[in-house]
Amino acid sequence: MGREVSESCVDSVIIEMVSAYCNRFYVNKPDLAARRIEAIGYQVGLQLSESYTRILLVARYTMERPRFSDHLEAIKFICKDFWSELFKKQIDNLKTNHRGTFVLQDNRFRWLTRMSSDPSTANTDSSQDPSVATAENKSTQATSMHLYFPCGIIRGALSNLGIPCAVSADISNLPACELQLSVCFSITCMITR
Amino acid sequence: MIVCVAVVGHQNNPLYLQSFTEADDELKLHHIVQCSLDVIDERVNNPKKTGPTLNETFLGLLYPTENYKVYGYLTNTKVKFIFVTTDLDVRDADVRNFFRRFHSAYVDAVSNPFHVPGKKITSRTFAERVSTIVKSFGMSAAA
Repeated sequence: MGREVSESCVDSVIIEMVSAYCNRFYVNKPDLAARRIEAIGYQVGLQLSESYTRILLVARYTMERPRFSDHLEAIKFICKDFWSELFKKQIDNLKTNHRGTFVLQDNRFRWLTRMSSDPSTANTDSSQDPSVATAENKSTQATSMHLYFPCGIIRGALSNLGIPCAVSADISNLPACELQLSVCFSITCMITR
Repeated sequence: MIVCVAVVGHQNNPLYLQSFTEADDELKLHHIVQCSLDVIDERVNNPKKTGPTLNETFLGLLYPTENYKVYGYLTNTKVKFIFVTTDLDVRDADVRNFFRRFHSAYVDAVSNPFHVPGKKITSRTFAERVSTIVKSFGMSAAA
């Protein structure tokens, strides 16, 4: 699949945003930076879900079932339509315990494909770290910083669809120069009813 | 003629309310919109009564009063669109078309990065677009 210019621009903007919050605005306060990045994602998610549900509505206008009836339906919308609008692919695996917890697995998360755990790059953008272990730790931390934004997007989209939830992400296998990397998003819905 | 349109958020908070009458009956129209929220709630929570229209965004005629007809629409994001019309002879297709255009106007308005989600829509572009849609609704109904 081809890569469009705008996609690289979005990548750059996100990388720049994350680094601005981590290394400029909230240095040494990763929690605060994470919260801010997540909040930005939340607003993006709210607005995207508004327009994507509309797109869905137009595309399936003839189908007489456009409104979501339950949580699973909304999560499926996130996995299929929302994800393919955002990342040109669907979620690879969806698991649920039927009690409000959903795990979405993306085996090739697009926003992280340009990331690698090369210790030398991790060293250059932070202060000198002599041990490789800390460098790896640092790069893990940097990667997880990049996951707060998509988490916020998912949370924003779901809460706009009427599902208040908490979203967290973790990386299963760190990208060691391979293209294969999977990210698991765990969604915990707060069932009010 | 459409005399009032409203956008109501998912917590029944008004996001946009605009009446299109010269007369001083704004309060009455707002009251009608308020009342129709109950009808929407009832329809959504007791879907059995509505039968085939289950889960459709377009809710159809909410209730007729002596002088007005009230139509409703519920988006996937639980935002309600309501309009009040004085036309007694309204075609369903016109209403659907109206809501479709209204929905796109709304989506464009909330996609504005300066719009705060959950707050009133203050965009002037949105207001202009809505009044165009409202005017064209009258036209197509007359034609």
